[in-house]
Amino acid sequence: MTTLKPRRKAPGPLRILGYVALAVAAVAVLLPFYWMLSSSLKSNNDVFSIPIQWLPAEPVWRNYLDIWTRSDITTWIGNTVLLSAIVTTLQVLTGSFAAYGFSKITFPGRDVLFLAYIGTLAVPWQSYMIPQFIMMSKLQLTDTLWSIVALQAFGALGVFMMKQFYESIPDELVDAARIDGMSEYGIWRRIMLPLSVPALASLTLITLVNTWNDYLGPLLYLRSPDLWTLQIGLKSFINEYNAEHALIMTGSVLSVLPIVVIFLAGQRYFVEGIATTGLKG
Amino acid sequence: MTTMPVARRRRGRVMVRNTVVGLSFLLPNFTGFLLLTLVPVILLFYYAFTDWSVFGGAEWSGLDNFERMLGDSSFWTALTNTLYYAAFHIPLTLAVSLGLAMLLNRRLRGVAFFRTVAFFPYITSIVAIAQVWNMLFSPTYGPINELLRFVGVENPPGWTTSADASMPAVILVGTWRDMGYYMLLFLAGLQTIPGQLYEAAKVDGANAWQRFRAVTLPGLRPTTFFITVLLTIGSFKVFDLILVMTDGGPGQSTLVLSQYIYKKGFEENEFGYASAVSIVLFAICFLVTIVQFLVNKRRSE
Amino acid sequence: MKRSIAAVLGAATALSLVLSGCGGGGDDADETGPLTLSLAGWSLSTTPEFKTLADGFHTANPDITVELKEYDATNYDTQMIADLAAGKAPDVYVQKNLKNFYTYQDGKQLLDVSDIAGSLGANVGGLSAYQVDGKTWAIPYRQDSWVLYYNKALFDKAGVKQPDGSWTWDDYAAAAKELTTKLKGAGDKALGTYQHTWQSTVQSFALAQTAGASLESGDFSYLKPYYERSLDLQNAGAQVKLGDATTNSLTYQAQFGKQQSAMLVMGSWYMATLRSQQTSGDADKFEWGIAPAPQQTKATTGTAAVPVTFADPTGLGINPKVSDRKAEAAKKFLAYAAGVDAAKSLAGIGITPADSAAVTDTFFQLDGIPQDDLSKFAFATHDTKPENPVGKYTAGLQNVLNDLHTAVLSGATPIDQAITEAQDRAKNEVLSK
Repeated sequence: MTTLKPRRKAPGPLRILGYVALAVAAVAVLLPFYWMLSSSLKSNNDVFSIPIQWLPAEPVWRNYLDIWTRSDITTWIGNTVLLSAIVTTLQVLTGSFAAYGFSKITFPGRDVLFLAYIGTLAVPWQSYMIPQFIMMSKLQLTDTLWSIVALQAFGALGVFMMKQFYESIPDELVDAARIDGMSEYGIWRRIMLPLSVPALASLTLITLVNTWNDYLGPLLYLRSPDLWTLQIGLKSFINEYNAEHALIMTGSVLSVLPIVVIFLAGQRYFVEGIATTGLKG
Repeated sequence: MTTMPVARRRRGRVMVRNTVVGLSFLLPNFTGFLLLTLVPVILLFYYAFTDWSVFGGAEWSGLDNFERMLGDSSFWTALTNTLYYAAFHIPLTLAVSLGLAMLLNRRLRGVAFFRTVAFFPYITSIVAIAQVWNMLFSPTYGPINELLRFVGVENPPGWTTSADASMPAVILVGTWRDMGYYMLLFLAGLQTIPGQLYEAAKVDGANAWQRFRAVTLPGLRPTTFFITVLLTIGSFKVFDLILVMTDGGPGQSTLVLSQYIYKKGFEENEFGYASAVSIVLFAICFLVTIVQFLVNKRRSE
Repeated sequence: MKRSIAAVLGAATALSLVLSGCGGGGDDADETGPLTLSLAGWSLSTTPEFKTLADGFHTANPDITVELKEYDATNYDTQMIADLAAGKAPDVYVQKNLKNFYTYQDGKQLLDVSDIAGSLGANVGGLSAYQVDGKTWAIPYRQDSWVLYYNKALFDKAGVKQPDGSWTWDDYAAAAKELTTKLKGAGDKALGTYQHTWQSTVQSFALAQTAGASLESGDFSYLKPYYERSLDLQNAGAQVKLGDATTNSLTYQAQFGKQQSAMLVMGSWYMATLRSQQTSGDADKFEWGIAPAPQQTKATTGTAAVPVTFADPTGLGINPKVSDRKAEAAKKFLAYAAGVDAAKSLAGIGITPADSAAVTDTFFQLDGIPQDDLSKFAFATHDTKPENPVGKYTAGLQNVLNDLHTAVLSGATPIDQAITEAQDRAKNEVLSK
């Protein structure tokens, strides 16, 4: 497995050039985040002052208190966390389960089914939104959190990613286990799962990010305000308090923060997983 | 899978057993996938040949929708814009993420930190991103133009508010958002290239550019192929970024196909026609991917 | 194996349900006892009118409870269309955007309510907007109209004469420029006026006030003078540029309420918002008034004439899938909402009811509503044309014209070229259907 350790030492002048490039790139990536953070600590009128205030003159920490009382952000975070947890668990489990079937068991019709998965990746979601919505309401799922679970948990991406990874595990390993008398389920559980921790971690992160940041799905399926997720909550907050630029930025910072923390905590695995699943294209 | 030397009858039984077991693995995921994705997508192919306004039944209209598309200048504008976006976003993202990956592959301080932050844009919600970038791009008061004026640009572009600069602005933000993810993929690809190859090239007297051409690029081919396919599909399907940043404007300068589908469907209730446009988009994604696949196959042979 | 068979059967059933179209959405109708109607609304915490109607109706009819169902304000129609297509929509739903009324009516998603229309008083405005083929498909409870808001304090500070009801658009433009210059001289950063980013702020006045103008004619030359004036105001710095307003997500509430502009062209609904924001502190406290919207020619100015303006009515329609008993109750609710009692309750929370003549007094008793005669005149007297005349092509044409709006006001396309392009597109893409 790759460890992503830098391997080559650069000579002198190239080194300096490298640092300059790195610094420029870092500023370019971080500038919007810095702007978001500093605006969240300004008063509304200072967000667009001329000339620009790169540092808030007097940090308005109150914004971070006000947002809790002026919006339902507690409910939104609760729903989003719940959804993200359920969707991610289901996606990772069913996705890796199905991927095992696709990559390690040969049976007729397998490739056709897999092609169906891949094919749907190329269809934009908004084009089949309505048939899907009708389907979902036949199943009595609209305006429940389950609709979002159903929407996100069985996507093609998870199966695709995990299959990529399993292909890189030698078949001999699986065959040896079969000869030892292990059942296919046992092989999946005891051999494949432990081996695929990095891939599972990266799928977890990607699913988590997608569920956490999904806007159109919850917008279409969730009506009751007590079911709202962070993204629709935030958007309706923007509509309602449209003059409160600073508070809107505060909300945005809060919506990004948890996912950043999770990313930082698990980044070693994610990076490895993304690297290995992406390789064998 | 390696086939074991077994009797034919036994093989038949194994086949049945494999099918049952294999299907049981697929079942939990496939049930959800079939109901919520596959069936709606198949219905889409049916609706594309109908006149359907969402309410009531769909009336079969044969190729009418596709004929209408030929004379629909907005459709062609959306198609051109989508190609415009893809033509710049794909190479730009490839170049930037490969460049960053090569940078990170060197022993420099701060590499680990940068590898972390480069991923931030990818994990941030599109709503927050659009809000911040729109403020940054604001023509009169925004920091970007303030900076440009400071360094002596007299007439900085109007970015998302001008017909010429709105697409570049969206492409820039798209690249900014995607580069961290693809950078990681490239980085992983770079590490699979054996160091000896570089040493050997050096001994042969190859300069940095020649080493890049002769060692790095061929070594990265599988990675590049995978990234190009992902990027292509992503670029042709670009939707939410444009919806929240410019809503296709000003005028139709950033109208892309997936947004046109959304507009026709949800704002003008022509779901039959919108489905037909979706099919075209699907066909383009499919064709481009196939071509890339063939090219990749021929090169690796 | 059993599981997979069950799943296949389940999938097949669901598939056949989808293919056969929507199932019946009717509910078991108890013929007696209390009844609950569901009503669609949006932004319930800041839009109290739905609750006012529901509570008022329940007080008058204790047997019937009206339950509110919240929708997203900006994506109301997307959500409603999805719900109707899936047979899950509420019993009564609001026609939020008249532009989409045709979709619902043509899609047979509205119950014929002609019998109620016939029983209403003659003062109920906006009824004709919901009539197709001699039948009425929705009942208006609210009829706004667009007026000119102005900040009296800023006018005084600049020493510019306040509106007197005699203004044409040229007078308005001249005042906006004068205000900007003089306010700058007085050390105030406020601009002369603010026209929000919506296409209606330019186009609908042009459509309402130009003789012979119509959307479906496909001839949009009537827009030209209105755009020239708006561009002139932008270039003179008397009005925020469209690009800056969109990139910075400017809101008209903040522009006028926080005294960033001395005038604002806006619908009458903003009176209630401004009043409550001044109380809550979301807007500055200053003296303001309303005047009739500026006119195209002198012929319709002055308090002896009836100023021409625009706005769409807001109406209630009934979901045709409801049971007969519910339909009966829903019709009762519609009649109540358009009636004088509801009009008074609505006026009490600052909403302009469909029957506005009956409530001018109630309305102007509210705290924080201006008391001058011109404001009363502007509120009560107007010839209000629809923003979106009902028709098959309205939604498509408005989308074409919205592209024209952003292209012209961002400076991307000159007005003549933009009009030619819009006319071509209208002909090829919309009117030819």
